[in-house]
Amino acid sequence: MNPTDIVRTILRAAPDALVVSSLGTATSALRAASDDGPHLYMGGSMGTALAAAIGVAEKQPARAVIAILGDGEAVMGAGSFWSMAGIAPPNLLAIVLVDGHYTITGDQPLGVPDVFADVAAALGLETATAYTDDEITTLVQTLHRPAVLEVRYEERAWPGSSPFVDPPVVRWRFEQAAVGAST
Amino acid sequence: MLESSPRTVSVARRTDAEGETVWQHELADGLIDAGIEVAAWVPDKRLAPIGTRLAERGIPLRTLTREEECFGYAAGYRAAGGMPLVMVQCSGLGNSLNAIGSLVIPYGLGFPVVVSMRGTLGERNPSQMPLGRTTVAMLDALGVQSFSLSDPGAVPAIVKGAIGVAEGARVLAPILLEAELELP
Repeated sequence: MNPTDIVRTILRAAPDALVVSSLGTATSALRAASDDGPHLYMGGSMGTALAAAIGVAEKQPARAVIAILGDGEAVMGAGSFWSMAGIAPPNLLAIVLVDGHYTITGDQPLGVPDVFADVAAALGLETATAYTDDEITTLVQTLHRPAVLEVRYEERAWPGSSPFVDPPVVRWRFEQAAVGAST
Repeated sequence: MLESSPRTVSVARRTDAEGETVWQHELADGLIDAGIEVAAWVPDKRLAPIGTRLAERGIPLRTLTREEECFGYAAGYRAAGGMPLVMVQCSGLGNSLNAIGSLVIPYGLGFPVVVSMRGTLGERNPSQMPLGRTTVAMLDALGVQSFSLSDPGAVPAIVKGAIGVAEGARVLAPILLEAELELP
């Protein structure tokens, strides 16, 4: 599995979800897997994608919301796992793509324990680890929200789509997708 | 000696029966009347009565782990069609500059921010001074116009105007709660 395959599987398992992606690999993979669908792609602001997803989940409680996070992103914004546990949005799934590297900056090692599921479990969040497409599909469909899903992969292929998005366009398209479907 | 609040907050100018400051309730009421739906904050003594009032009136008050997380949360809430409020100390703005600069501003996500000013008149904690001194300059450098609130009588007008800017002009609208609000 590579990041684009993983995200494509996530989207097939949850086709109606509002999706927030962190900068770098997650945004590039989400753009590639969704043919540039109307998602909330982060072009910067490392460490705040999960917080943004919590905000989306709170404003749109009737919608499924998924945060797709790189592992470096998840470490930088680690406090948001605590916030997720505290607020406990019943419609939010956080998925951490774990390859142990900061990809976009030149493949530097993560350098700290990549124990996202352990942390999630300690926080009382539903959590699991997936290694295959089938496991991703099953877990995305069945994990009781709020939940944290680790996806571990070794094929570290760059997805190809630029992670440098046009922010006003992203915001406008996402707002239409979020508000238009709820009214 | 550790202090969690400025020593200047010892005498409120006006208080109601519960001892809460009237202007803080007016501020909360004005924000609710203008349409805010949720508040994300990191606790602060001067902001606390505002948060209490918001919660009493049914506004969810989300206590997050860092100030930049409040801006990320609010950005998501706004992008999903809502109107959030962020409440932080000015020192927390320092933590938040990247979230403001690379998310809130470029994505055009306008919402009000109530900033409790430390490091100004009456401050007794040396560690608070640099960020208090540079708050307006930091915001200016990012192109964010801030709105100073030092007169309790100006609360309704400034709140209404700030929400108008956030909603209509779609820019961040920081209201700076100056120390003069509580100086005896």
